[in-house]
Amino acid sequence: MARSTEPPGLRRANDPPLLILTSLAGGPKHGYALSKDIEEFAGAVLSPGALYGAITRLEERGLIEPLEETGRRRPYRITAAGSSALAEAVHEMSRVANVGSARLGLVRGILA
Amino acid sequence: MTGGTASHSGVLKWYPRTWRDRYGDELVSLLDDTYGDQQVPLRTRLSMMKAGSTERLRWVGFVGDSVEPDRRVRGASLVVLCAWALFVVAGSGFAKYAEHWDRVTPLHDRAVPSDAFTAVQVAAFTGVVIFCVSTLVALPAFVRFIRGHGWAPIRRPLSVMLITSSIAMVATVGIVVWSHHFGSSPLNTGLWPYKAAGITWGILVVSAIAAGAGAIVAVVSRLEPSPRTSRALGILALLMAIVLVVVFAGMLTWWISLAIHAPWFFGSGIVGTAGSRAPPAMIIFGALMAVGLVLGTCGASRVVLNLGEFSPSEHG
Repeated sequence: MARSTEPPGLRRANDPPLLILTSLAGGPKHGYALSKDIEEFAGAVLSPGALYGAITRLEERGLIEPLEETGRRRPYRITAAGSSALAEAVHEMSRVANVGSARLGLVRGILA
Repeated sequence: MTGGTASHSGVLKWYPRTWRDRYGDELVSLLDDTYGDQQVPLRTRLSMMKAGSTERLRWVGFVGDSVEPDRRVRGASLVVLCAWALFVVAGSGFAKYAEHWDRVTPLHDRAVPSDAFTAVQVAAFTGVVIFCVSTLVALPAFVRFIRGHGWAPIRRPLSVMLITSSIAMVATVGIVVWSHHFGSSPLNTGLWPYKAAGITWGILVVSAIAAGAGAIVAVVSRLEPSPRTSRALGILALLMAIVLVVVFAGMLTWWISLAIHAPWFFGSGIVGTAGSRAPPAMIIFGALMAVGLVLGTCGASRVVLNLGEFSPSEHG
């Protein structure tokens, strides 16, 4: 498989790759645990197809890596490159959110 | 394996084999955890059908950058081939429809449509030559594949292609013999059994072309040719894309020219009478070719983008 350098969907808060990286930043998880965690913290229900499509892309790009299988479940963990990509995406989004908050006169610093 | 697991495994059929080997168990496990012994809801099935088809397109190299540049070039070349198949279908209909156009076109108005029609014919012939050369270029990789893997992985698409082609050929012979039996052009007399046979024959030929294109995609996507072969296939695909542009431009020029100078050809066929400038048949052929042209242009653009990504060491 070719290692792609194309940035995955990390631009919008509901992009499956961003949700997966955010979930894995809290520790390794397998598919079902990822799905439940994402539903809990983002309120987004990822279909199995969308979830595994995003997992495939993230693994191809080296942003996540599989761990040893437990039964038929395989957990994944975020890599250093994944953490860095997530940090960049979060920083970018918080910059926009901060500007939006300031212009709306909302409390500053909450999103900092 | 429980009934639920068996049912959940079924949705994997949309995914390519390599993907199933890597992620299939995990995905089925996720479905088991989510739905237990219940059926997977239709909405989820549809979503997985879409996701699986996308993975297939990625695996063939049609979309994305998950595979190596040479596979992407082959995938894009196959897109151009599918576009050519559409042109073959539309072009065959156009050739039949445009028969004897010159008989009802005034002599002094024939130059432009005649040149355009000739351009279409030459380009169509060139397309066939490019297709044959591409087949020869891919042949060694095909032979290697058969030696290594046997016929089993490609038996189904090839069988479908052979069956549909055989039926279409038998139908062609039958309809030719039948039309000779009738004598002069019975189609133009409005004889309904001949028209029905003609439509059936058309459907069979289109099915054979579609099955042929499908079989080629199924076979070529499994081959592992050298980067040099992939590059050659990519260049041939670019030439084919040029052919498609020439055919489309020629057909359009012929159509516009006749619509201006001999519109009766699209109507009663009697010189001097009124006629439609946009008959349904020409709209269908034009639309099919336009779709093929868009497809071919997308494929050719992808070939150009990915040919540049071949590393110098792969050129040899």
